[in-house]
Formats: sequence, structure tokens, C-alpha cells
Amino acid sequence: MIDALRTLTDQFLGRGAAAITVPIFDGALKPNQFLEQAETFAELEAPEDLATDGTSLFVADGSSVLRYDGDLATTVAQVDGRITALAILPHGGLAVAIDGTEVRVVGGAHDGRSWSSVAGKPLSAANAISAGGDGRLLVTDGSQAQPYDRWCHDLMSLGRSGRVLEIDPAGGGAREIASGLAYAFGTIAAGNDVWVCESWAHRVLAYGNGKHGAPVVSRLPCYPSRLAPAADGGYWLTAFTCRTQLVEFVLRQKAYRVRMMKEIDPRYWIAPALTSGNTFLEPLQGAHLKMRGIHKPWAPPRSYGLVMRLAPDGLVRYSLHSRVDGKNHGIVAAVECQGTLFALAKGRRRIVSVPVADVERRLLS
Amino acid sequence: MTTPIVELRKATKKYAGVPAIEEVDFALLPGEIHTLVGENGAGKSTLTKVMAGVVALTSGQMLIEGREVRPETPVQALHLGIAMVFQETSLVPTMTVAQNLFLGQERFYNRLRGIYIAAQQFLQTLQFDVDPAATVSLLGAAKKQMVEIARAVLHKATVIIFDEPTASLTPEEKKYFFDLVVNLKARGVSVIFISHALEEALLISDRITVMRDGKVVVTDRKENFDRARIVQAMVGRDLSQTLYGQRKTTVRPAGKRVLSVENLRMAAMVKNNSLSVFAGQITGVFGLVGSGRTETFKVVAGVIKRDIMYGGEVLLHDKPVRYLVPAPAVRDGIVYVTEDRKLEGFFETKSIADNIYLGFLAKVRGKRKLVSKREASDVGERLIKRLNIRAISKDVKAIELSGGNQQKLVIAKSLVQEPEVIIFDEPTRGVDVNAITEIHQLINRLADEGKAVVVISSYLPEVMALSDRILVCRMGKVVEEFSALEATEEKIMYAAIH
Repeated sequence: MIDALRTLTDQFLGRGAAAITVPIFDGALKPNQFLEQAETFAELEAPEDLATDGTSLFVADGSSVLRYDGDLATTVAQVDGRITALAILPHGGLAVAIDGTEVRVVGGAHDGRSWSSVAGKPLSAANAISAGGDGRLLVTDGSQAQPYDRWCHDLMSLGRSGRVLEIDPAGGGAREIASGLAYAFGTIAAGNDVWVCESWAHRVLAYGNGKHGAPVVSRLPCYPSRLAPAADGGYWLTAFTCRTQLVEFVLRQKAYRVRMMKEIDPRYWIAPALTSGNTFLEPLQGAHLKMRGIHKPWAPPRSYGLVMRLAPDGLVRYSLHSRVDGKNHGIVAAVECQGTLFALAKGRRRIVSVPVADVERRLLS
Repeated sequence: MTTPIVELRKATKKYAGVPAIEEVDFALLPGEIHTLVGENGAGKSTLTKVMAGVVALTSGQMLIEGREVRPETPVQALHLGIAMVFQETSLVPTMTVAQNLFLGQERFYNRLRGIYIAAQQFLQTLQFDVDPAATVSLLGAAKKQMVEIARAVLHKATVIIFDEPTASLTPEEKKYFFDLVVNLKARGVSVIFISHALEEALLISDRITVMRDGKVVVTDRKENFDRARIVQAMVGRDLSQTLYGQRKTTVRPAGKRVLSVENLRMAAMVKNNSLSVFAGQITGVFGLVGSGRTETFKVVAGVIKRDIMYGGEVLLHDKPVRYLVPAPAVRDGIVYVTEDRKLEGFFETKSIADNIYLGFLAKVRGKRKLVSKREASDVGERLIKRLNIRAISKDVKAIELSGGNQQKLVIAKSLVQEPEVIIFDEPTRGVDVNAITEIHQLINRLADEGKAVVVISSYLPEVMALSDRILVCRMGKVVEEFSALEATEEKIMYAAIH
């Protein structure tokens, strides 16, 4: 009863859950142009994920896995569906998610093993795989309610059916580590813990060692996605777009959302996107306002590009951005390989590369 | 050459030995609009207060049309033809416009109807659309300004001084106000106009004077200025021989985010403001008067309240908090060290130890059923030693301390509460050089200990010397963030005024 009254009061006064507020990009998240000014490494047809074995870059592109040695690309694997997640196994071979509904090992000692359901529930939107040092796989199944491509539908339905899974390729066993997540997208083994990105809740959670969903990073101003290890400890965390007050407002307006989802083409929803500025029918992306007689840019971001460097304890050390006026948006994966950070801008179907030492020299010294 | 209507020669005004203006030469010509610009504390207000008789010169001369005068009260200045319109209007809110206009000119018998008719006629001559029977408290900011101006003109003022008149006006009201100023000029009235908005200065002035650190840097015709020249004149000081001579070469890395402010709103002062404060760092906050920096942090600390509806969020360790008074904020580890120590900082007739102990009691409220004199003495002694408060004994009354030691007392009163977030608002205002050094060392030590420290300061060199990161506020929100390594005075000032 008291909770109900409080909810009503909050809705009336715009407080608590009804406060339409968004954290700011400041401190280590202060915007820059590193991703926007990064060199374009490759432009592909349908890139989905990146991985590395420490010497080469691997890219999931459509149904193929490409390996880059320098600029030279060779196809190392081909599957019968679209690859939605990719990981390199420590003892040889690859693990891929196919169409979000199956996890399969390709090559190596366990070639051909696959899983299409875990804990009695079918995979629906497998979107990230991470291989631990012992060969076990951590997999995020974004949503049980929506398939891989309909992530925006899941957000607009306030989905909370994501889960993180552990798969043992050697023994064939699989288990659910956590479920009921607000879109699980990206996972990694961090010491004895498992870290999982809960995108719609804008945070990274830790499981294991008595932790059951302890926040590692919370209240991010963006929607986090995949995690990858950094060379000198710590992690790379990507975010495929940032939060805005407008979208937060829409998320609180059920009737509006339902009608928008029913009547409007998803490309034109007031919702986050991996790319924007493609048509005038989209919600406003770039604009200006006049202050004291001077035109000033004002840009409610619909799409954005962001990679964050996390310390081993989860503290954000620095970040690389492609801002609202940029193009390298929709960053869904980043890996560090031989001193270079490769980031996948899915919105532009482009891989960009940045020398890590150069970034750290300019941002940290 | 035209004789200036008001002239100051070698004008110096000192407060407790510290010069607010020093050896200033200033001339206001008949019928001109003269704008004063400069940082907070540059001496603009003091200069105009001298002319308006609010404060008296320590040394130097003031001349009106070549005749030396020394107005000692605003009434005397008004008789000399100088009126000042303050930022906060000096009207009586419960009285009508007409009553306010004729306040101080009452006769033995006052016929109210007569006053209204006279006021109506007078306001019409000025083309001011204000109802003389309206109660002042019900008027908007612009109309209150009109009444203030009308009152000045009624008193036959030939010089009208406006202190930040446009800060509380809407764009439409501003336009109307500028028309009024031009109208006044046409009537032969000289206008001094203090403003932080350079666009305004460049729009309506005939001449502009830039002040810095209590001195006039340059006076020139408006045509000879552009924004870059004004900003350069406002900040271009030589610091090599001062406390702030050394530039910062390293910054502390940010720790955990301790405090977040998201889309905070507080009346017209704070508009959708967002910022974060991190552990182990000094976050400097710079902004000109009216930029909303103090108000933002007063809301954080529970000194003032945010808007009731859609007032935004304040988060401590990612958990929303809403303090209606400072006590719960103190218990949660947020302290605000006030900029006005005499009014809000301490009880001046209480001893140092008692003042510090009062701070301690605010933290442990409810856990102390009885006040222990011994504990008060011990806590006082510990903090006096830690902050090096110089006094004959801990029983000396706060009022008997020097400005620097009073400031240390205010800080001690906050530190005894073992805070996690410490907000210093103008920590070295009115403090001597030695105490400034000690306070700076203390602030640095707190950040080194891992506390989240916020320093709000109007003095740019201080912000740059202390801060690891600098937030610049303008018009109620943070508009720019700089690392201390990339910040320059020009960059910060540019962000603060554009």
C-alpha cells in the first residue's frame, strides 16, 4: 500500500523511478573524438563480432569467420547461418553463436559440438561468447522473448528475460548462471567472478564467490555491450548507443510505446539505434538552438559510439568516443591485439583501429 | 574635452586592509552608457558602491562635474544625482508601485489618490507600462526594474548604476530593458552597467571598462573591442611571482564516482544540471555570478531545496538522496563549507572548541544524550592542532580570530564530521596569504586521503592551482569540463561567458 502510494506520488512529482534523468558523460567518460578519428581498418558486408587469439584479429562477418594477419583476410570458418557471436578457444578452435539460437564449436578438439537449449529453455538471442582459460564458455542469451535482431523490441517492451550461461565444451554440460536480466549482452570471466552486461539496466554485474548480481559498474549513461580483456589487465567495455532523456521518457509511457510499436516502422521509432541520419523520417538527431543571437549546436543523440577501458576492479579509466555528429556509431565489440584496439562500428559496418599507447599517452598523461 | 560627470582618481577601497579596488582611475562622460566587465571579485561592485555612497573610499578622490565630493550614504549620493539599482531590488514588496516611488518623499499629509495620479503621470512620461496601484511583490522582474529606474529618475538622478540588471530577466524583458536604457540616455542620463554577458556589453555600451583584481585593465570605445580582447583583458594576469605561479603538472586519477547530480533543477538558478564527483580528486567548479554553481552544491548538501516537481536526482554512491536540511547530509558524509563564514559558518560568541564540538554533535545526533565538556575539549584540541588554528587557547571566542583562522575553524567544524564529500565554497575569500597556503595544503591532503573534494571558487588561478578537473558553469548548468592539464584561463573564461 505504501509502495503504491509512493509510486503514485513519484509519478506526480517526477521523482524516484519517474524522474527522467540521465547520467552525464564526464570524468573518465568525458567525450573525445578518438573513435571518430580512428583509422578505418576494414569495411565489411555484415560484421557482428570480433575476437583475437593474441596475434591475429578474427571477425564474424555474415556466415564466415575471417582472420586478419595484418591487412590480409582469410576465411577460417564457414557456417550455415549468420554468426551472432564469436570466441577463440584457448586450446584451438572457435566457438560461434549461429542466428542467436545455437552455440557451436568449430575446429579444435570438440569440433561440431553444439547447444541449442540450456536449462530446458531454447537459446533465443545468443549475442556474446567468452572463453575462459579452462576452456569453458560463457554465453549471454540477450532475451528469451525476442530474437537477436529484435533487440529494440525487447527494450521497448521493457524486457527482463536475458540470461548468462556456462557451457563446458569438453563435458558437454551447460548451466544457467543467472536469468531474468534486462537484456544480457556481453560477458567475461573476471578472476573467479563472471561479469555480465545488463544493457537495459545500464550496468555490469558480477556473479560468483557469493556475489549474485553485485554491480561492478552501474548507472552508465549508455547501453553497455560486449566485454573483452585488455592487454595489461582490466577490460574493454563497448556501448552501442547512449541514453537520452527523450528515450527514458518514452520508456515510461506505456500507451505511447505500445502504439508506436504497433503502428510505426521500427526504423523511425524514438528509440536507440546503431546508426542515424539516414533519412529525414528519423527522430531528430542533429539540431541547433539560438542563444543570445548565436546559433549553437544541440544534438539529442540517437546513435553513438563508445568504448570504455575498465580497470580490474571495474573502475572506468578512460573512454573513446564517436560523438553524435560522427559516423562510427553502434560499437558492439572491441578487442585489443598487439597494442592496437580494434572496434566494430556495426552501424557503419566498419572496423576501426586505434593504437592503445597513443590513446593512453593523450588521455592519461 | 568634455568634463566627466563622475570621475574617480587613484581610488582605493580596502576591506580589513585587503584592497578591493586599488588606485583606480575612472571617468563617466555625460549621456554615455559605460559597461564594467570583469571576473567575480574584480572590483566592479566596489567601484560602483563607492560612487553610490554605499561604501567610502579609503584613499583617492571622487569628483562630480569637476567638484570633489565624498558621499557617505546612498541618500547623499542621490542628492548628488547618483542612483544605484541593485541586483536584488530595494523596493518594499508589500507596498504599491506608487508608494515605492514616493517612499522617503512623504509629506505630513499624504493623499493616496494624489500619489497614484502623480505616479501614473510620471510613469507615462517615461513610457513605462506599470500600474501604479499594483503591489510590487506581484510584479515580474522586468517591471520591478522599471520601478527602480523610475524611482531613480524621479529623484532626478543624472547617473544610474545597474548591477547585473539582466541576470533575472527573460529575453523579451531584456530587450525591453535595453530600450529603457537607450531611452534614459536620450534624456541625458549617464548609465553605468555591470554585466557578465559580453554580448550585452558589446550591444548597448558606448565605452567598456575591463577590471581585474581591483584594477582597471583597459577602457576603450565599444568599437575597439571584440569578445577575444575582453576575455584576454579579463584573465591575462601575471602570476609568476604569486602563490599560483606554478602550473599543475600532474593530476590525481579519478577514483570511484561518489556523487552524481542528474538533471537538477532549482528555480531559475539551476537548470537541468548534471555532474559527477569522484573520490581522491579535487573537482574545481568555476562560474560567474548567477551561473548556479553554489546553488547546485547547496541543493546537494541540503542547504536549499530543489524544485518539488521534476527537480532531478542527486545520487550518493549511486543511491538517490534528497536532503531537506543539512543534518542528514552530514550524517551521510556530505559537508558544505560555506562561502559566508560570518553568517553561516560559526557562532561568533562561542569558543573555538565549542564551535568544533557543535559540528561533531551534528554528526552524532541522537547518540549523545549528554554533552561532555571533556569530549568537547578533546575534539577541539585535536582539530585545532590538525588545522593549525592559531589562537591563545581553544577557549578564545570565534569572533576574536583573524579571517584566516576563522576560515580554518569553519573547515574544522566540517572535518570533525569525518565527511566523504567536502564542498568548499570560496575557501580562501578574505583570507591572508599564509592561511591560503595552509588551506590549500589541507584541501590537497584531503584529496590524497581519498576524499571527494569540491572547490567552488571565483578566482580562476585558485581553481587552476587546486583542481584535478575543472567544471565550468554557465546559466545554471555545467557547460564544460577540463582536465587541469589542458585548462587555461582563457579556455575557462571563454566557456564561462559564451
